[in-house]
Amino acid sequence: MPGALSDVEWDACFLEPRRDRDLEAHVRRGMGTVPSSVAYFTPAPWIVHSMTQLSPFGAPPLHVDSMLADLIGLVVSQDNSCRYCFGVQRLMLRVHGLPEERIHHLEQGFLDAEIDPRSKTALDFARRLSRAAPLSQATDTSALREAGWTTEAIRELAFHAAYNVYTNRLMTIAAIPYAPVEGLADSWLVRVVTPALRIMMGRRERRARARMAMLAPERARGPWAYLVGALDGLTCARSLRETLDAAFASPILTKRAKALVFAVVARGLDDAPSAREASDLLAESGLPPERAEPILTHLGSAELDPVENALVPFARGTIRGRPMQLQQHTRALRDVVSREQLVEAIGVTALANAVTRLSVVTEV
Amino acid sequence: MTLVSVLALGLAALAALFAALWVRARRANSLARTRLSAASAELERLQNAFERFAPMELVERVVQSGVPTSGERKEVTVLFADLVSFTPTAESVDPSALVRILNGYFERMSRAITAHQGHISTLIGDGILALFGALEANPWQTDDAARAALAMRAELATYNAELAAEGLPKLTLAIGVHRGVGIAGLVGSPELMQFTVVGTVVSVAARVQTLTREHGVDILLTAAAQRALDPRFTARPLPARALKGISEPVEIFALVE
Repeated sequence: MPGALSDVEWDACFLEPRRDRDLEAHVRRGMGTVPSSVAYFTPAPWIVHSMTQLSPFGAPPLHVDSMLADLIGLVVSQDNSCRYCFGVQRLMLRVHGLPEERIHHLEQGFLDAEIDPRSKTALDFARRLSRAAPLSQATDTSALREAGWTTEAIRELAFHAAYNVYTNRLMTIAAIPYAPVEGLADSWLVRVVTPALRIMMGRRERRARARMAMLAPERARGPWAYLVGALDGLTCARSLRETLDAAFASPILTKRAKALVFAVVARGLDDAPSAREASDLLAESGLPPERAEPILTHLGSAELDPVENALVPFARGTIRGRPMQLQQHTRALRDVVSREQLVEAIGVTALANAVTRLSVVTEV
Repeated sequence: MTLVSVLALGLAALAALFAALWVRARRANSLARTRLSAASAELERLQNAFERFAPMELVERVVQSGVPTSGERKEVTVLFADLVSFTPTAESVDPSALVRILNGYFERMSRAITAHQGHISTLIGDGILALFGALEANPWQTDDAARAALAMRAELATYNAELAAEGLPKLTLAIGVHRGVGIAGLVGSPELMQFTVVGTVVSVAARVQTLTREHGVDILLTAAAQRALDPRFTARPLPARALKGISEPVEIFALVE
């Protein structure tokens, strides 16, 4: 059974796979395997690095158990109709020992009957954070507190939901082929090797915990420092810092173009702190608030270059919608930008969507 | 036949009976699970479909705890579209052609509206009430509505060419766009309920639409909509007009391109 998303429409992939041995070796070291999606993002190496850095292998949860982190991945991916990530999460749950029948029940929405109330509050919160309709606020965490979740755990839950928003957007906007992963959880081969995979995965998670490093104080500065600071004391702070730094340091798109993407997403989700951060970056890139405002109000301007003018409505189109709606914006962007720029644009918009939705961690 | 043989036969029969019952129970269980799966998938599809007509959170609230009776104040852009002089056209073509013409029209208009983040709240005869910024907050709602109106104009031109090729009468569109605050919520009776916006914002859009005939244009915006519009659109000012039920004369603009 291919899962509950089998009737979700999905465009042909917009990117061409290009293997890179060094990047594959990096991913294998971190995750123990190289997902089929990696080859599509090699033109922007920071995206490939982020796949490991932001995952539970790069940012192992300290206050949330791995099974719940994967359940968050399942419900968020299902909510976002990401066929690729949904297939991966079903596989991860199988590896963690969840029986096939239970996974089917979960994806059919029988959560109330089968999930303990404490975990259910976490899953509800993750779904609300991902939907951002409206953007999650401190009041959304009261049910979590009543269920006994600590502040650190709530921040970690938010990070895992946002991480899944990131991967969902990456795979969906690029229309990464889901066939290699969709039915994997139900294949006979996986059934046979699941016990071995479980041991291997457990060992890798333990190793990741042993190796984990916190964010050094001297590295706390940089874009979205207030957000990274709110995650201080968690492994994800360092992962997010490194991903943001690498994304803004990448030379494929200009810093101004990336800041515009973040500014559009922040405005679309009505997130004032993220909008201020993007505004500061735009000002540093020569676009002060009085000139940026009309651009953000109407999603374009003669002042922008053709790539920026295409990126701004593209970023807006990735904030909400079903896969085919998101993918129609990728099709429009593909005609204007280079292959490398398209890959990076997808990575930056995915990151902007995740970072902006994560803003709730500053309020808990 | 010895006693042992009889006992063995009896035990075998009993085992066969248990096996048959077990197989039957498994089949019934599997059938029930398949039906439950199908029903759940259908519910999921229905929920996804409803999310096109009402905010996602509202759909969930309805699923979990019934229809909420509260409304929410929202800034929205309302687009009201109508076909000009359609009643005489309706009387001049046969009913099956009429239904086909209308369905083709609604299909194309719906495509233009949803492609620009709008959603159709109601169809009133040949009229369409479309909302922008009602399902989710949308800071670009008026630009979206103007783009949708222009896309509707283009779609109708293509459709009219198709109708003319079939010897059918062409359609003329009139659109009114207004921006303001309305009350959004589920409105109706238990038998027929819809997510919509009510308030002056809707009636102004509908009444501005009727002024298109007088000015010989197809798309009119109120000043409230025009003020929020991207300056890259061309909107020509027209004399302010009094509208029924509105105390002050309403400034209007013709959307050119």
